[in-house]
Amino acid sequence: MASRRRAVILDPSEDITKVFGRKCSLGWVALGIAGVMCKEEVYLKSRWRRNFQVNAKTSYSWTRGHTSHLWQHFNLEYGHTGYDASIGLHTGVRHRAQESAASGKMFEKDIYQLIRGLRAHKGNEPQYIQESLKECRKEVRGQDMDQKATALLKLVYLEMFGHDMSWASFNVLEVMSSQKYLQKRVGYLAAVQSFRPDTEVLMLAENLLKKDLNSPDKATMNLPLTTIPHVINPSMANSLLTDLLPRLSHSNPTVRKKTIVTLYRLALVYPETLRPAWPKIKDRLLDDNEDPSVTAAIINVICELGWRRPQDFLPLAPRLFELLTAGGNNWMAIKIIKLFSTLIPLEPRLVKKLVPPLTTLIKTTPAMSLLYECINGIIQGGIMEAADGTTEGDDIARLCVNKLRAMLVVEGDPNLRYVALLAFAKITASHADLVSQHQDVILECIDDADISIRTRALDLVVGMVNANNLQTVVERLLHQLKTAGKATASDEPTNDRGMHDGIIPMADDDEDDAMTRITPKEPKSAQAPPLPDDYRTSVIERILEMCSKDTYTNMNDFEWYIGVLVELVKQCPISTATGDFGSHSETSSAKSGVADAIGLELLNVAVRVKAVRPEATAAAQSLLVLDTRHQLFPTSNSGGNGVLASAAFIAGEYADMLTNPETILTSLLHPSSSGLPAEVLTSYLQAIPKIFVRLTSEQLGVWEQSTQSRVVLLTARIVHFLEPLTLHPNLEVQERAVEYLDLMRLASEAASNHQTGVESDVPLLLSQAIPMLFSGAELNPVAAAAIRKVPQPEELDLDAPINSSLNMILSQAEYDTDYADDDNEVYRLYHEKPSAVATNYSRAAVDTLEPPETSRTSSYQDTRPEFDAEAIERKKAERRERYKDDPYYIDSERRSGTSTPMHNILRSANGEELDVDSIPVMELKFDSRDTASDPERSRAAKPVRKPKRHFEIAADETLGGDEPSSSLPTGASKPPMSRAKKSLLEVDSSGLSALSLAESADARNGGTALDYQRRQAEEEEMANAMKEVERLRLEMQRAQERIQPRDTAEEGMVVKRKKKKKARVEALDDQPAQEDAVGGEGATVKKKKKKKPKEDEAQASTEQTQEGPEEVVPVKAKRKKKRQVTFDDDDAAG
Amino acid sequence: MINAVLVFNNNGQPRLTKFYTQLDTAVQQRLISEIFTLVSARPSSSCNFLPLPPLLAPANTSSSAAHNDAPSLVTYRHYATLYFIMISTSTESPLALLDLIQVFVEALDRLFENVCELDLIFNFETLHAVLGEMIVGGVVVETGLEKVVEGVRSQGRVAKRPVNEGRSGLAQGIWAGR
Repeated sequence: MASRRRAVILDPSEDITKVFGRKCSLGWVALGIAGVMCKEEVYLKSRWRRNFQVNAKTSYSWTRGHTSHLWQHFNLEYGHTGYDASIGLHTGVRHRAQESAASGKMFEKDIYQLIRGLRAHKGNEPQYIQESLKECRKEVRGQDMDQKATALLKLVYLEMFGHDMSWASFNVLEVMSSQKYLQKRVGYLAAVQSFRPDTEVLMLAENLLKKDLNSPDKATMNLPLTTIPHVINPSMANSLLTDLLPRLSHSNPTVRKKTIVTLYRLALVYPETLRPAWPKIKDRLLDDNEDPSVTAAIINVICELGWRRPQDFLPLAPRLFELLTAGGNNWMAIKIIKLFSTLIPLEPRLVKKLVPPLTTLIKTTPAMSLLYECINGIIQGGIMEAADGTTEGDDIARLCVNKLRAMLVVEGDPNLRYVALLAFAKITASHADLVSQHQDVILECIDDADISIRTRALDLVVGMVNANNLQTVVERLLHQLKTAGKATASDEPTNDRGMHDGIIPMADDDEDDAMTRITPKEPKSAQAPPLPDDYRTSVIERILEMCSKDTYTNMNDFEWYIGVLVELVKQCPISTATGDFGSHSETSSAKSGVADAIGLELLNVAVRVKAVRPEATAAAQSLLVLDTRHQLFPTSNSGGNGVLASAAFIAGEYADMLTNPETILTSLLHPSSSGLPAEVLTSYLQAIPKIFVRLTSEQLGVWEQSTQSRVVLLTARIVHFLEPLTLHPNLEVQERAVEYLDLMRLASEAASNHQTGVESDVPLLLSQAIPMLFSGAELNPVAAAAIRKVPQPEELDLDAPINSSLNMILSQAEYDTDYADDDNEVYRLYHEKPSAVATNYSRAAVDTLEPPETSRTSSYQDTRPEFDAEAIERKKAERRERYKDDPYYIDSERRSGTSTPMHNILRSANGEELDVDSIPVMELKFDSRDTASDPERSRAAKPVRKPKRHFEIAADETLGGDEPSSSLPTGASKPPMSRAKKSLLEVDSSGLSALSLAESADARNGGTALDYQRRQAEEEEMANAMKEVERLRLEMQRAQERIQPRDTAEEGMVVKRKKKKKARVEALDDQPAQEDAVGGEGATVKKKKKKKPKEDEAQASTEQTQEGPEEVVPVKAKRKKKRQVTFDDDDAAG
Repeated sequence: MINAVLVFNNNGQPRLTKFYTQLDTAVQQRLISEIFTLVSARPSSSCNFLPLPPLLAPANTSSSAAHNDAPSLVTYRHYATLYFIMISTSTESPLALLDLIQVFVEALDRLFENVCELDLIFNFETLHAVLGEMIVGGVVVETGLEKVVEGVRSQGRVAKRPVNEGRSGLAQGIWAGR
């Protein structure tokens, strides 16, 4: 089998041409011969073999760009006989070929051979690919263009499989610039597939693109048009625009429509380019005689542009409407409707205009996609809301919803079901009641076999629930979770490779496979496929979201809810994958598994709803007890662990309500508990002493032998559990363990030392001190934003350092301990500070410590000369600025007496009537109003509650007004974050939103003028300049004409001239001689002699003596002459 | 707009990759394999829309303003041994995209006559050409079957796959799927 496959490596045509000649024409002849003689196979074979041997070594370098074409022609002319013959012929040849390949000569492969080779080397592809890449590397750098192009095509093919070809970018460019279309096409394809934003040769490509854009050949022109969108960058966009714009009016519609799209992509990287392009595109759109496919392309582009700046496209509405009603092209109609849905919010009058045609379309169109988009457009455009109340609006809303329902129930088309659910989900925001009328069909979709549909239905259901259907929906989802069974590791899609043998797409599969696998892979087991974990997580999150929505608005039965929560713990997916599938507030804040979210929910109910607190505590108890845990958590190490933290907190906080505290404590103290995650463990540690208090306080009043031994035993057990935890790697666990360990030791000591007897009291520590630690005010929910609303008291200075010389104390302490603790010389060598510093510090330390009575701060200030008061003041001011809003920053300047700064805040914030001391536990409880007495709150909390059982739900406590939580800074900072992290394939069009097409008039004044515009401006300027020149010329001519007749009046002019000359001469006169020497000084002298003979004579003589006679050069003579002429004028005047 | 068009076979081996944004080769491969993982797990009775693969999943779900730029829709169709996938933003209509894939495949069938995977393997240049006639820079420019075929033919002859590949009697071709 393998050898048979190998045979295919060689293309017969190639061998023929190789054998018969080096040139194309010879190859032709060879093919002809082969075709004619193919019947005499035996003869040919023998002859072939001979020839091959002769030629094989010399003709390998013949390149193959032509061969495949040749082969095609051959094919064409000789038909199938030729084929068959050549195959026969070919089989005779192959052994030779293999031999020679084995002998060290490497064949150059064309793309077919590469692919065949890949298919032949099954299981060994990586090596084969590496070899091929090596060859390509060599070939692509060669001189022959055909060879280059072939190699590039091979590289593009391999690139598809993930083999980077960025190193070949320059060669891509070379092939792109080829003269031959077929080679050029390969080059352009390679550019599209391999160029990345950082490809540097792109700059070099610019001129080539320009050239090809202006090519007379339509096919060549199309290449850059389709390539530019992939490689464009802003600077290129600028310069290519000039060449692209004229293409908009090209005679060929294909060129026009591709140009339009290319211009759109230009605008994406460089929005300004749209300004000159838009009017032309608009003209195309408004042109009734335009090719319909061009119009459709324009609509597509406008649809992309439209949602960014809908206001710019409103003027097009009449034309769009016309196109919509004209009909004919459903694709375009879909886009127009999409476009209208973004325009409607800006122009309410469109609603009235659009409703009739859309209704007609919905009722008549046979195309399901158009029908759906009509409905979608009505929903998205807000037509339903806009037309609400009118009979027309009611009609269309009913029509839409009914059509959508029909889509949901239609058999056999899951796609319709999917999109219908999408549309329903969009309606829920405005018409939740309309949607919930169709609850029955929607709930059916929750159990759909297709998980995409289920997920959509789930989304929809969350928006749809109200107090009446909440329980039904949740029960249904729970049922689904229960019956589906958990996904085992092998069921997970990532591990499920039964159908396909490798996730890494390497090379080629079996040829048989490619041909015969006609049916799609058989579906998996028919009944109830296991739910994937992320879906399971998502369902749980949605249940929590639905139930807790708006502080349990829809919740009628909290006992039921607690039961649901416990059930959900059982359904937690095994892996603790972070489930942030939906926008669920609980999970996103918890940032951890869905089990944590369930726990938080349980906690929330326990805290907020006093009425069901016993039930909640019982639920927590059932979750905590080890004996029953295996029922609740199916696997020993399940994802349900996250719930334990909350459960432990509830059990501790509401220990009074525990029915079986002993068991709980035993479970908490079980050795296996110490293996729990740190978060859970910290919660456990907090709960243990609370339950201990509960247990010991039961026997208050009597302190007998049995009580004593019981308490001692309890403390011993707790100590036993806590001791190893003092070395826990998690600091929080460690700290709590240490604290409670000591407390327990104290308790143990107190208990064992205390005298027993009927009349003796319970030790004070047990009866008073420890319980006091955990009792006090009840915990209430506090709004997350409350802390930010704490007003800062006037006198609070948060910026003063706690201890202005903290740094020094610290270094001091370090030094002291180092010095005191260790006498080891070696240690000291390494750890002791350099002596200078050390002495400095020690002196400072002595100084500071000397007067113990004086206040610390002042003494430190005094002894630190390196900190002058000003600098400190400045630092303080800075810090004040920084910590202005931080209520936790403690100011040292403030008198810190009996009341802490926190206390001060409270006091000043609430005034004196609030007794802060009555709220010892939760200091954030600024406003101890009863929730029920708060009219706002209760209105928000219980509007739709059904009177089945009245639950009091404590709302979040907060300060001041009921600002929405979006006022939080976190809410504000979110959008930029999402902006920064854009999606992978996203094409950012945000630049377009800043570009207004309306104000094109002042575009030219803008600083960043486009190349195109600049050129236009330049041309205009040039034209203006030419005009100006012309005007001036004419003027001059006219002036000339005017002068001619006035020839007689030359007097005035001459006078003028004379004056001028005179001035100049005088200037010359003042200059030093050397400069003067250039021009005829003789003249000067001459002239001066005339004017002031006496004085000048002397000077002239000195000058002359300096210059000497040989200074007179021919050039000067000329000038002299000229001057003399002027002087003649001069003379004439004078 | 359309962000990417992918074609791969039942084993996840790519036959055509076209990304309308420039992406690293390695990232492209990861995306392909993620989508393949999603798509290959789906029974034939399910709908033709995929959830977003992890690579494309939005960073935070609260983004609603800029949603139109980010890909939000993964549409696929399964023909015989091949999956055709289109990743697009919400400005495209999901049902229309399914039709578009259909036009694409019909055009290929017209050009190759009973197109099968092998035709696409050996003539991937033509495959690109067909796509180039239909989609430019992520925007659909042509949906008419005739015009697409005509446009490709005007660029030069479309080669049939070499005859010694595969066997005769492939009459069912790609249409045998659904």
